[in-house]
Amino acid sequence: MTDGHAQRVVIVGGGTSGWMAAAALARLLPRRCSIHLVESEAIGIVGVGEATLPHIRHFNERLGIAEADFMRWTRATFKLGIEFRNWGRIGDSYVHPFGTFGRGQGDVDFHHYWTRARLAGHDVPPLEQFSIACMMARLGKFTTPGDPQSLAGTFGYAYQFDAVLFAPYLRALAEGLGVRRTEGRVVDVELDGERGDIRAIVLDGGLRIEGDLFVDCSGFRSLLLGEALGEPFQDWSRWLPADRAAAMPCRTRTDVTPYTSAIAMPAGWRWRIPLQHRTGNGYVYSSAFVSDDEAASAIEAAVEGEPMASPRLLRFRAGRRERSWVRNCVAVGLASGFLEPLESTSIYLVQQAITALVELWPERDIADADRDEFNRIIDLEYDRIRDFLILHYHATERDDSAFWNYVRTMPIPDSLAEKIELFRRRGRIVKYREGVFLDASWVAVYLGQRVIPKGFDPRADLPASADLLRSMKALHQEVAETAAAMPAHLDFIHRYCPMAEAA
Amino acid sequence: MRSVVVAGGGITGWAAAAALKRRLPMLEVTVLPIAPPADALADRFPATLPSILAFHGDLGLSEADAIVRTRAGFRLGSRFVGWGEGLPDYVHSYGTHGPAIEGTAFHQHWLRARDAAPFDRHAPAAMLGREGRFVPAGEAPIDGYEYGLVLDLPAQTAMLRAFALHLGVREAAGAFRTLTLEDSGFARAIDTNAGPLAADLFVDATGPAAQLRSAMGGARDDWRRWLSCDRFVIAAEAAAAPPGSLDTVEAQPTGWRFRIEGLNETTTGACWSSAHDAREGIAFEAGSFAEPWLRNVVAIGDAATVVEPLEWTNLHLALSGIDRLVTMMPGRDCAPVEIAEFNRQAAAEAVRVRDFLMLHYVTARRPEPFWREMAAAELPDTLAHTLTQFAERGRLPFYEEETFARDSWLAVLFGQGVRPRRLDPLVEAIDPAPIAAGMARHRDAIAAAAARAPTHAAFLQALHRQALR
Repeated sequence: MTDGHAQRVVIVGGGTSGWMAAAALARLLPRRCSIHLVESEAIGIVGVGEATLPHIRHFNERLGIAEADFMRWTRATFKLGIEFRNWGRIGDSYVHPFGTFGRGQGDVDFHHYWTRARLAGHDVPPLEQFSIACMMARLGKFTTPGDPQSLAGTFGYAYQFDAVLFAPYLRALAEGLGVRRTEGRVVDVELDGERGDIRAIVLDGGLRIEGDLFVDCSGFRSLLLGEALGEPFQDWSRWLPADRAAAMPCRTRTDVTPYTSAIAMPAGWRWRIPLQHRTGNGYVYSSAFVSDDEAASAIEAAVEGEPMASPRLLRFRAGRRERSWVRNCVAVGLASGFLEPLESTSIYLVQQAITALVELWPERDIADADRDEFNRIIDLEYDRIRDFLILHYHATERDDSAFWNYVRTMPIPDSLAEKIELFRRRGRIVKYREGVFLDASWVAVYLGQRVIPKGFDPRADLPASADLLRSMKALHQEVAETAAAMPAHLDFIHRYCPMAEAA
Repeated sequence: MRSVVVAGGGITGWAAAAALKRRLPMLEVTVLPIAPPADALADRFPATLPSILAFHGDLGLSEADAIVRTRAGFRLGSRFVGWGEGLPDYVHSYGTHGPAIEGTAFHQHWLRARDAAPFDRHAPAAMLGREGRFVPAGEAPIDGYEYGLVLDLPAQTAMLRAFALHLGVREAAGAFRTLTLEDSGFARAIDTNAGPLAADLFVDATGPAAQLRSAMGGARDDWRRWLSCDRFVIAAEAAAAPPGSLDTVEAQPTGWRFRIEGLNETTTGACWSSAHDAREGIAFEAGSFAEPWLRNVVAIGDAATVVEPLEWTNLHLALSGIDRLVTMMPGRDCAPVEIAEFNRQAAAEAVRVRDFLMLHYVTARRPEPFWREMAAAELPDTLAHTLTQFAERGRLPFYEEETFARDSWLAVLFGQGVRPRRLDPLVEAIDPAPIAAGMARHRDAIAAAAARAPTHAAFLQALHRQALR
């Protein structure tokens, strides 16, 4: 049943994806592969994916990473969601939480009752005030989730960490598990003449490394999948026109918020990711609507603390390779595709690719069934996230710049148009059990960006109006009190995982 | 939405009416009680899947009303006999076959331990069933499973009718004549010999004839090339002995036959392909509407999807359709975007039920021409995908709207002798010796606990005493 020898796995590229892949494969498939990672210190890592989704916790757990230790080393903070500012209109602000609205129980989702009360003309507080995760974020609180049956258990969390420190952390782990690392730049990729598989890579020092399976973690360049194997790129820039970012860290001076901020700008948006020692900032913009100089000035003007460097320019293009796994080459992370970090999905996509690769670990003679299934899973992830991101741009009333006029009026994929229409009519969310963003995420963005349903689930009409308003009021108060009683985010961090050089 | 007319007077029709009125009490609900025709599969087979208990729960029906007073029995699964030539019988029960081990699925470890006992020996429900015993899931190792009911159909239908009328459902008089349409293509009213029945929405629970839905145009997608059985017979007689807790489904040269033991009656019958067997029987044709809901007419149960009664999915599909209808009730305009989402979910569910039924045939190994033909059928993409993934390393890909859980697929696959080509490599990192011992302990614990559990008859007796005290 087994094919005997361990496979020779060659990972091209360090950085977050390369070392996540190396550590995971070494930990989970110890007898199946010998891993050789090639990276070059001359090539920088992109490292904008500092904000994560709750899924990362599962990944870390599987690798046996202790949370407090990891957070200390990567100078991490907690993340309860994302605050979106100025998206629906200038002056708007909402939180997309890692959690539900209301108690998240029962047949009918809370937002239907909320919509009913609003449509009846009652003065009901904004939806986010019924979400424990949102209120913790607004109040700058953090503690770990409680009993899932209680209000204090209706949220999840992720991390905001320094990606430049995460890679070395994983490297230490991976090398401890036997991963071999070689410094060097890939100058040639040898293909097998007959089958078209990758046979070996050649480094600038002349070293030639053979392998059975190649993992392309080379970033935007997509050295193996894109360049050597020529897998075409599906361009999604007509829906997601942002193609550059000006990144600029500053010292943490202002609030270390337990959330990431995404603040809409005239030609895109800027991120604000607070870590323990600094705050990451960057302006994601479309070069068709603003010049690089203007964007750099805009981010310099926007940062709230003392800059630690001048703005650094990154170029990218939204889309994905037609297939992420071709022949004996699996692309992970940016080498397989790019979606702007608006919903912090970069590291999530890396993680999903690694998880799928482990689940579909091939034999040396790779079966089509493994490759096809991997590509099916990864394509679905990309496509669903794509629709969710487009929603943020399209569902806006902003008409104050050419950029916003474009995204507000652009044609969108049918799959998304149907979803929006369904929500607009009756607050319905297209039902999937599998997928990264589930009901509450869609509700948060729709309502936060002024897609207000005209109707609601008729079952939400059952409670008598006075009873409904009374229980909503009680819930509102319980959410506020529960959140207020929690520790401040920074206090929790100082107690639990202060960064190594904190003193 | 203000008014709904349900056409159909079997368990499907009354269940739909009761659920609509109970869960959406603002609706005016009227039933035109057309007696279920002979081919109404959902209305005629007494064995149900676990979903009926959730359905009772959603309606707020007590065990005393929905089970005891209606003389229902319990069932833990089906025992399949003769589906793989030379293989022992196997039990498909509804629940776990052993715990995950260090993040890897139990069945992978079972596969690795080549000499392990049959797969169903690791399922508490299967072991209880083999002994004719019954208890609901409780403490380990008797945990992690669900069960269905064996209904007394007239009693269950009468109970649902009485409950619906009590809730305020109106029962219309008159015999069905035709469905009249507006120029827009929307249904206006059902014409009966007692006058027209107008409504905003029409629910078709008339069985395979789909009298309302068919009048709207279109036809079912034909599934006969995948499920070629097209005749059945069914008969009940007074029970001669206390009921067991498994029904028996036995492969025959041209189809299969069954025996379902209820509290007071034993139901037997058979299902076969007329192309291979000329016996007289009640005819049906497997197929499904890609759009069970069109404008303001929605087909539920057999009216939407006809599949052979194997695995007793007909009433399950009806109840699931009713729940979906309540959950997704649109406005009076039945906006296409809302109807499309209903149809997407309904079609996904029906397709995977079809695939699960086909699984029984394509993996069966019998020499007769009927079986050879079924095994050689060209697979639909979804089932081909599942079987390819399973054949490689025992992996079952996730599908939305799946009726049968992973362990159900495994019970049939392993029960019919299908084995993957290799193991999940993650399993190889785990030391096999302690796991083999643990597996044996798990089996022994189940066997010992099952032997102490009450017989099905004793459990029912106690339940009746308690409920009717």
